[in-house]
Amino acid sequence: MASVIYHPAYRTYSFGPDHPFNPVRVDMVLDLLEKLGHEVRPVAPEPARRADVLSVHEEYYVRRVEELSAGREVPDSQEYGLGTPDTPAFAGMDEAARWHVGGTLAAARLICEKGEKRVLQLGGGMHHARRNFASGFCVYNDLAAAIQLLIGRGLWVGYIDVDVHHGDGVQQILYEDKRVLTISLHESGQYLFPGTGGVHELGSGLGRGLKLNLPLEPMTGGESYREVFEDVVPTALRRFRPDVLVVQAGADGHFDDPLADLMLTTKDYEAIFRRILDWAGEFTRGRVLFTLGGGYSLKASPRIWATLYLLVHDLPVPAEVPQAWARRWAEVLGEGASRDFFEAGPPRAAHPGGDEIARRNREVARRLLESASAYWF
Amino acid sequence: MLVRDIMRSPAVAVSPDTTLGDAYGLMREKGIRHLPVLEAGRLVGVVTDRDLRLATSVLTPQPFPPGSCVAEVLSRPPVTADPGDPVEDAARRMREGKIGCLPVVENGRVIGIITGIDLLDALLALTGVTKPSGRLEVSLPDRPGELSRLTSFLDRRDLTVHSILMYPEGTETVRAVLRVGSMEIRMLAEDLRRSEFHVVWPPEKPWPR
Repeated sequence: MASVIYHPAYRTYSFGPDHPFNPVRVDMVLDLLEKLGHEVRPVAPEPARRADVLSVHEEYYVRRVEELSAGREVPDSQEYGLGTPDTPAFAGMDEAARWHVGGTLAAARLICEKGEKRVLQLGGGMHHARRNFASGFCVYNDLAAAIQLLIGRGLWVGYIDVDVHHGDGVQQILYEDKRVLTISLHESGQYLFPGTGGVHELGSGLGRGLKLNLPLEPMTGGESYREVFEDVVPTALRRFRPDVLVVQAGADGHFDDPLADLMLTTKDYEAIFRRILDWAGEFTRGRVLFTLGGGYSLKASPRIWATLYLLVHDLPVPAEVPQAWARRWAEVLGEGASRDFFEAGPPRAAHPGGDEIARRNREVARRLLESASAYWF
Repeated sequence: MLVRDIMRSPAVAVSPDTTLGDAYGLMREKGIRHLPVLEAGRLVGVVTDRDLRLATSVLTPQPFPPGSCVAEVLSRPPVTADPGDPVEDAARRMREGKIGCLPVVENGRVIGIITGIDLLDALLALTGVTKPSGRLEVSLPDRPGELSRLTSFLDRRDLTVHSILMYPEGTETVRAVLRVGSMEIRMLAEDLRRSEFHVVWPPEKPWPR
């Protein structure tokens, strides 16, 4: 009833040893699951074909990725977000990016062709890639490609993005599509990259009212996050009635994440993932596709994604991290890594203004539902 | 950034003998609020949706009928801009005159128009928020060389800066607000702090890392 998609070739999607988007994160997840005694038997995908990529990207953009990938100069690459400090060009980047797209497409096919209910793609989640623009470590948008495949098979898609950054690429590519509801919860773009994801971005044309954004205050804690998550997501799903959920399960809302300022704990992520699985049961006959995403704390992300694997397979989450795993990754984990599977959160005293933050988030959720629901009836 | 960079061109215009009804219809059709009024190609005034509403309102003692001519209600003399004016200069003229648009005139001919909305677009572009980016705020001592110290630091990190805005914060410091095309601003902020910069945003995390 649950499948995992993974291929070692995902590791080739790497911007170098000092870049935060580090393939070691998934190595740590797989090793953690193994040391917990779970044999992960992933389905191996194929890399996506060029035609699949063209379902969501402009040809002139793809051509530039291919040129850079082959080591050739592209003088105007920066205009397309390629070869930038965040998304540097590297040899083989076209194929590496197509592996991740292929994985998410394989996950979508398992659902719409083989009747699989839950699929966890241990890669992908490149939600910043736009039609003709690479950004935020993302070259090809695997999520949008998989969503296109699903709606092509007649399935309406509810997309939920819990990455700490706004899912701007997915939103842009599907902005006018009435068959896709997108819901992105993220730290407010007033300060954080990419700067978009305001409540007023509601979709256009037939997609109006179906692109939802819940920008949260910096330093939002788990309690406030889960409150507004619960206010908005089931309300929108109940109205939209999707056939399948696609979830970008970025782990960078964790308090230890070096790139952002939310204060979620691994325990909060467990609660969030459980609710998404509940809603899949309630609204989509259990059909849900998870991808990874951001998540740059090497202390936190492996445990968060291992938790996701365990929940997807209805397995219990253990109390502690296996010692053998902690030893093997000691150098990567560094000082102060949690021995408990669910680490203690930041001290409550470290959360000044928490009530005001919760109030503002509640207000944003209210405004979002009020403005979007005007288009629902 | 100059007026020619943000103006709408060509401007939709009417003549003095256009009726109020036709002018109103044109505004509705094009989704605009300001019409330059041209007589034999020469600008003689501007008619706005507000001019029309006030002139025809039932609350006015003697409202104009829809068949009246634009010549009877237009605002004159027109306040104009040159395509080579800086946008802030155009903004100042509009603010001081409390007016919503400036026809852009070159060699006596109207070649375009700017409105308050175009100035808002200019503000968005100037702040850099139209490109994927994050916000960095640094408080700098108000003395020569400090901005250069900051930008050289950024230059060494090979970062794309989409915009830098600065304003006086008090008597001794200025606030620099930058939009940086990167997800990695928090690491950058830590490095800046280590180099004795006062980073206002992103904040230091109030828990140990």
